[in-house]
Amino acid sequence: MEVKTIVDECLELWRDPYPQMARLREEGERLVGVLCSYTPEEVLHAAGLTPVRLMGAMRSLTHADAHLQVYCCSLARTDLDMALAGELDFLEGAVFVQTCDTMMRLSDIWRRNTAFQYHGDLVLPIRMGEEVSLPFLVEEVRRFRRGVEEFTGQEIWDDALVESIHVYNRNRRLADRLYRARASNPTALDGLSAMSCLVAGFWMRREKHNELLHEILEGIEDSGEATGGEKVPLLVSGSVCTMPDLYELLLELGADVIDDDLCCGHRYFDAYVDESAPPDEALAKRMWERVNCPAKHQCIEDRFERLVRQVRDSGAKGVVFYLQSFCEPHLFDIPYLRQRLQDELEVPSLVLESELQSFSRGQLRTRLQAFIETISGV
Amino acid sequence: MSEEKRELTEEEKADRERRKIKSAGAMRELMTKYYIEAKGAEGTDRHIAWITSGAPVEPLIAFDVIPVYPENHGAMCGAAHMNVELCEVAEGRGFSRDLCSYARGDIGSAITKGGPIGGLPRPTFLVACNNICNTVFKWYEELARFFDVPLFIFDTPFVRGDLPPHIEDYSVRQMKEYISFLEKITGKEYDEPRFVEVAARSLFASALWKDVLACNEHRPAPMTCFDAFILMAPIVTLRGTQEVVDFYQALLDEMRQRIEEGIGILPSERYRILWDNIPIWYEMRNLGKLFMELETCLVADTYTSAWTFEGVDAERPLESMARIYTEVYLNINLERMAEKIESLAERYGVDGMIMHSNRSCKPYSLGQYDLAKEFTRRTGKPALIIEADHTDSRWYDRAQVEARIRDFVENLL
Repeated sequence: MEVKTIVDECLELWRDPYPQMARLREEGERLVGVLCSYTPEEVLHAAGLTPVRLMGAMRSLTHADAHLQVYCCSLARTDLDMALAGELDFLEGAVFVQTCDTMMRLSDIWRRNTAFQYHGDLVLPIRMGEEVSLPFLVEEVRRFRRGVEEFTGQEIWDDALVESIHVYNRNRRLADRLYRARASNPTALDGLSAMSCLVAGFWMRREKHNELLHEILEGIEDSGEATGGEKVPLLVSGSVCTMPDLYELLLELGADVIDDDLCCGHRYFDAYVDESAPPDEALAKRMWERVNCPAKHQCIEDRFERLVRQVRDSGAKGVVFYLQSFCEPHLFDIPYLRQRLQDELEVPSLVLESELQSFSRGQLRTRLQAFIETISGV
Repeated sequence: MSEEKRELTEEEKADRERRKIKSAGAMRELMTKYYIEAKGAEGTDRHIAWITSGAPVEPLIAFDVIPVYPENHGAMCGAAHMNVELCEVAEGRGFSRDLCSYARGDIGSAITKGGPIGGLPRPTFLVACNNICNTVFKWYEELARFFDVPLFIFDTPFVRGDLPPHIEDYSVRQMKEYISFLEKITGKEYDEPRFVEVAARSLFASALWKDVLACNEHRPAPMTCFDAFILMAPIVTLRGTQEVVDFYQALLDEMRQRIEEGIGILPSERYRILWDNIPIWYEMRNLGKLFMELETCLVADTYTSAWTFEGVDAERPLESMARIYTEVYLNINLERMAEKIESLAERYGVDGMIMHSNRSCKPYSLGQYDLAKEFTRRTGKPALIIEADHTDSRWYDRAQVEARIRDFVENLL
């Protein structure tokens, strides 16, 4: 298949993944919703289940307001709304990794008000990367695994889990190659296309996504065809990009995303699971040492240091912070990150907040345009 | 207001005086002395630690460190109607208005030294425990950057159902780590007998506090939650000291005396209400008046009882402390919260519940809509949810909230 055809299909998926999830169900896949990038998807995969990512949706709410206040993030609100409206009935259940206060309460609310057969909880320590928390996390992964086994009624064998780990590690390596290929040759594949190809994997069997990434990589490495001229390189930092609009608008406005610090992007595939260690321990270890979500204590590497490294390596001329409104972990980091980017690197930044119930592409465009003009000195 | 005052007869004045809680004066003295001492320690050799309200403070007392509570200070700034201007300072530095107003106010006060007592004394280190929320460690990370001082995080994973052994083990490991951290910072050795003594006093004070709150099971209630919100300051900030034990003993004696003499806090008490969430600090006076007018007493709440600890094993003090701090009210699942609410409703014989949906506190507020329904299902009593913020009055619509409370109370029974 042509690179462009694959990319277009991935972009469509990103824009609206829900019909695809329903199709997967019809094809006989047993789907489990995943709300967080920390989910050890390998465990679900090894149990014959197919994890699919829930990243909210642009919609007005009909059911969730009876359970969640308006000062709760729109990811929680729109995901719950779809579940309560019966629009996620193709799922057998969902996994709630407790990264933040909202996810912690959402799990209970979801369990109490829906009738899915499966409900998974996994509590994370906040002191990720410190020796004191690792045994706890290993036990949480074991507990999570037992929960999945109870649900399917079948034991997950270690060798099956190791095999799934292998599939996911391959996926991480391919994703990393995709980002590298894009960085070394930005004109061969724009940020929108690269991100589309990555997130599309959230809604297909991982083996299939590996094939897809492989095909893309071969395609762009062969052709070297250019899809655009000189663009203003930017880095996007935040949680998830539910819709491709941000990436599309940046392209339209003469900019492009050269790298990201998103949990549906670079943070998702960071670090590998050690295939030679006992699988529960290896899975826990990866979660524990991968790039932190801001909802975890910054003790592995200071967020700013890492951001600086990413900005320098990618040559980004500006940083767009793309956050969920009301997301405290991200909002707390904004002042010092912005200040230091400006003071130490003279890199300007822009803060955009996403609320899926009241999304305005026009407003987003205006703010991005002004930001890009500042950078390019127009 | 002043007209109303002039109209009081001698008899009414005497009655008001009789109903006043006398220990409130002792508490003010205790807290004033504490803040003077803490502020006086700034720049001396004594260590000052800023600590979250739910964190284990007993080790600090045992190591002679002065604990300082930004949350208590936040409540004070809120009650003094000074927190909004402090929040605005933080907002000017890029902190979103959607962040907790305790955190914003505290960051603002750290910058300007503003507030009713001219800010808190500079910390030499920080202790944060996320058993009350995950906001605190982000807030304390910012403080650690601002003051450039060490931060110890006591991580208490969320508990569903019974406390699982791997969470308990993690808590115990951290308790030991906490002690080593204090040894390093203070240069003193851990003195276990001293710690047991402090822990015992803390526990004893907390048991007294529990008994004080239980006095409100009596009709008429000898105090309201508005009093409890104020009288809880010592158990939050100074538990583990002898002064606090003495204070709560005297308070308990007074409450029992009131019960014996049939002295209620309100001139008349028709309805009894359970309160959920942190107080609306800047609105205590107005709400107090409103409830008095409605002959309604807030007899119990889910907030002040968070500092009533149970089950310390003197043989294993660190282990039992670790367990207690992990299983606090805000760190458990909705079903366990519903059980607690139901039990409070029964014990205190309430006619309904009012929940403060607090924009600043997600772990306390998300889930309230479900809890309200569950409360009604279990008790047959109604629940009202009002929208506010604990110290940012810009989110508060007084007319609307008061009207809703009036409607609610008028429809009770």
